[in-house]
Amino acid sequence: MNLVLAVILFLLMLYIDRKRGLKLFVSLAMNFVVLIVIFYLTALGFNAVVCSLIGCFTVSCVMLFFVNGESIKTVSSIKAITVVLLILSVLIFSMAYVSRIAGFGYESYEEINMFSYDVKIDFTDIAISMILFSLIGATVDSSIAISSALYEVHENNKDLSRKELFISGMNIGKDILCTTANTLMFAFLGDFMTLLIWFYKCEYTFGEIVNAKTFASELIRILFSATGCIIVIPVTAFLTARALKKEKAEDGPDGVTNTET
Amino acid sequence: MKKAVLIVLLLLSAAALVFVYNDDFLYSQQIMKLTKIETVGEEISRNNLDLKEEHYTRRITGEILNGKDKGEKKSFLYDETYSSVVTDRFRVGDKVFIDGTDLQLKRDFYLALIVCLFVILIYIVGSFKGLLSVASVIINSVVFYIGLYLYIKGVDLLLLCVVEMLVFSVLSLILASGVNKKTLSAVISVMISTFVMLALLMIIVKTTDYKGINFNELSFLTVPAEDIILPELLIGSVGAVMDVAITISSSMAELLEKNRDISEKELNKSAKEIGKDIMGTMSNVLFFTYLCAGLPVFVLAIRNGFLLKNYISSNFSLELSRFLAGSIGIVITIPISAFVSIRLMKRGGSK
Repeated sequence: MNLVLAVILFLLMLYIDRKRGLKLFVSLAMNFVVLIVIFYLTALGFNAVVCSLIGCFTVSCVMLFFVNGESIKTVSSIKAITVVLLILSVLIFSMAYVSRIAGFGYESYEEINMFSYDVKIDFTDIAISMILFSLIGATVDSSIAISSALYEVHENNKDLSRKELFISGMNIGKDILCTTANTLMFAFLGDFMTLLIWFYKCEYTFGEIVNAKTFASELIRILFSATGCIIVIPVTAFLTARALKKEKAEDGPDGVTNTET
Repeated sequence: MKKAVLIVLLLLSAAALVFVYNDDFLYSQQIMKLTKIETVGEEISRNNLDLKEEHYTRRITGEILNGKDKGEKKSFLYDETYSSVVTDRFRVGDKVFIDGTDLQLKRDFYLALIVCLFVILIYIVGSFKGLLSVASVIINSVVFYIGLYLYIKGVDLLLLCVVEMLVFSVLSLILASGVNKKTLSAVISVMISTFVMLALLMIIVKTTDYKGINFNELSFLTVPAEDIILPELLIGSVGAVMDVAITISSSMAELLEKNRDISEKELNKSAKEIGKDIMGTMSNVLFFTYLCAGLPVFVLAIRNGFLLKNYISSNFSLELSRFLAGSIGIVITIPISAFVSIRLMKRGGSK
């Protein structure tokens, strides 16, 4: 069934835009491979947090440079994403440490009862790595949206100061924020549905749901994904505005050297 | 103005946090605050891959915080493992629920903490629009919950999901962009895309009969997994579909406003142009959101000696199909919403 779905998706993407569709599909396949390699390294016992930071950086590079080409926009985006990843990993680490969302809740015991639990890997790291990976897609999405939009603004009006560029970046960010929040929420609700039905059928009280490990870890994952795309907005706006103005100062009034293909 | 609201938000969050921190009286289960943890036993076990795992037995002592035994001291023996796959690592000062001999960490304070942090951040960056999107998320969750209630009462889940999707799209699109032609065209596009997607998925499901999909992950369900997969796929993609629909119809409206005489062909072309940009980023959002959910089980399986090849083909299948179905929804929505908004605003829209 997945093969059929993949073929349909591929054809539809080609229909929208031949060159871009092909690139996109290839990039998704590449990201899948990166993800599996990182997951596998994690499972072999390498430090999960370090692995996932490297993995997140790699997939961001694939999404930015392979799909969108190397340009002032993508370079500022990757810088912004790196900053955000570093800030967030500290936050995520402390959150995972205090709320102890590592491992599995009662609800998933049946899924894992065929395995031995003595695996000698700290599942706190696994939880952190999972949160990092789930926020990277949305974060790259809003970062590239901001930097491309700012680039357009700059192209249309080159007299804007760095501060004005930053402010318009923040304004664009507000629109992106709302739609991305929706996308994320529904993606998670789809995931949640089985869990909620379970809670319902087993007559969990509100208090039991809120304190259950399964619910807490899902909620923390959603909120960090959203937080990722919130903080990336000012960071990208700042870095892109700075890069655009710097280019201009170096290359004379005509400004930007466009390396985009 | 912005500062005033921010201060109010900060005060409210502080109040909420203080309340949640002291909400023990709300629970009917006994809550114990840990005062002492001693290690009374240590043991090393080996699994079939010869991995050494440390097991600790700890004596946990604490004071009951609520109910009729308030103030009493109790102590329990608790097993802890290095991996914490199914156990928790308690620390002095933690509050835990007592359920027979079973201990569970009280997590509500941490959830409240991150929710407050999130609301404040979204307000700082997104001002009122940000708060509005939080409101829209809350309203949609309520609608979702009502839907679940009806499902438990016996209404067909697929039918419910289709109805709910329409409600979701109307609510969130109106909240995001007000009552106007753009919103109308986005709502219509979401509806059409939903039906097209549903039809497509049903055909695929009928012809392939879920071949290659592993329902292990849903094994805890008390209902057949086949009943729940289609609704899940639909709900999971509706956010992205709405996002695409509103982006396309806003930009179509923008183009028409700037140039009334723009031809339908040109409009179609720019819709494709915009579409190709958003399909990439949106499908990536779904990709990571879904696929990384499989990480913990993956690690567990590999550490139990499963082969990578066998594992990928069986256990990532459900996550993959969620991602693929959602992305198909996104891509389908691009031409549909272009068509609808051109129809609505170009032909019918001569004000």
